[in-house]
Amino acid sequence: MAEAAVVADQFALLAERLSAFGKTVTAKVPIAQTPKRLVWTLNKAKLYRYVPVLPKEKRHPVPLLLVFALMNRPYILDLRPGHSFVEFMVNQGYDLYLLDWGSPGPEDKNLKFDDYTLEYIPRAIRKMKAISGVEEFSMLGWCIGAILATVYSALRPDDGLRNLILLTAPLDFSNKQDITFPKWVDERFFDVDKVLAAVGNMPADMIDYGARALKPVDNYVLNYLKLWDNLDNPHVVEAWKAMNTWVTDNVPLAGGVFRQLIVELYRNDRLMRGEWMIRGERVDLGRIRANLLTVIAEGDHITPPCQSEAILSKVSSKDKELFRTPGGHIGIMAGSGAHKITWPHLDHWLGRRSG
Amino acid sequence: MADERATNGKTTNGKDLDPMAAFRDMRDTYLDAWSKTMVDAVNTEAYAKASGKMLDTYLSASAPFREIMEKTMLQALQQLSMPSRADVISLAERLTNVEMKLDDIDAKLDKLTELRKQTASATRVRKPAAVAPANKRRGKR
Repeated sequence: MAEAAVVADQFALLAERLSAFGKTVTAKVPIAQTPKRLVWTLNKAKLYRYVPVLPKEKRHPVPLLLVFALMNRPYILDLRPGHSFVEFMVNQGYDLYLLDWGSPGPEDKNLKFDDYTLEYIPRAIRKMKAISGVEEFSMLGWCIGAILATVYSALRPDDGLRNLILLTAPLDFSNKQDITFPKWVDERFFDVDKVLAAVGNMPADMIDYGARALKPVDNYVLNYLKLWDNLDNPHVVEAWKAMNTWVTDNVPLAGGVFRQLIVELYRNDRLMRGEWMIRGERVDLGRIRANLLTVIAEGDHITPPCQSEAILSKVSSKDKELFRTPGGHIGIMAGSGAHKITWPHLDHWLGRRSG
Repeated sequence: MADERATNGKTTNGKDLDPMAAFRDMRDTYLDAWSKTMVDAVNTEAYAKASGKMLDTYLSASAPFREIMEKTMLQALQQLSMPSRADVISLAERLTNVEMKLDDIDAKLDKLTELRKQTASATRVRKPAAVAPANKRRGKR
């Protein structure tokens, strides 16, 4: 009888844990809570300016523009209070702007890197300069946002870009042996035109599957097991909820961009070879003169370090630095150690160049 | 030692006794090995070929259904005198073009405002210097 009661207790405990697990997995928590103001829009793109918390005399005069990837929501940079890169930088006195690309609709399926780098970014920068009343600015690009920032910097080197920060930037596609993505999109196995003819824009679910399938056990099993093991730890649960909210909130990628990414970059490595043409202009990385900081995540499986190293030898910048940090593609900026390693280094590097 | 653990539920280093710890360690070791195997497996040409073939088959098989659906939808919308998907897309594209033109105007307005500010501040600076010689001239008369 007593044994039966013990077993029943265990079942009750299991039911309680399963209930908590289910609630956590499906929870959507408030994110992106740092106060900001919408200052410019074009099509789906929005430019936000974060409300400064320091008086003007204590702020850095050179504004910083954040450019994130096209197929994820940019609020990973402002995940939750106390764990937000945006909040950290605003507190350090930066005049901070964020370019949110939004979600492309069927009418945007022909948008290309050409449009983002020569229409959207320059217009957003013009507005940022007009609001801040300065001619020089800094730009931080992350993942595909780093490709956009690099191409823009090479095509418009006289627009006033003083500092360029590239986070986990997939720029060098020459190594096809050690990286998984180039194998998957090899033209023998993957017909990009057939896919885009059927879907228009690359669906968010397909992109998400591609990213998760690089480490299938980690993403489909271990991630949930980690939560199960730590259901009693509110710190882990809160962090898990916020990250899961972001991970499950993806956006499609404009068909034109996806095609360029596969054909021009993954298959033909045109950017590093100096052969990439954007609206008739050759993207010459040697034209980049801005101070350059390239951040590499040593454990990055989406953008392996070998894809971000070569840019330093191609640019004309006199002031350039390669910063390696432990962690993965997202973890270096949103993981538990980001506020101890990556954020302070970015602030230290940029602060000395933003006076 | 074993009796002590059994009576107070603590290990010798003071932590709670966890009878499942050994099982969890074993599980983690197995999952770690499985994870590495799968990372290697998806990084092969065979996986790329198989997943590419699956996607291709799906696209080929679903193409006729997509076409039928699109044609049917188009006819239904025409019957109801409603705009088609292509019409709405075309309208959205035109709206973006209008937005770009508005942005161009906004840029010009910003520039004019800035020029006006500069002119106003330059006038304020020049005014005392410009007035003095005029007074002098008047005084001479």
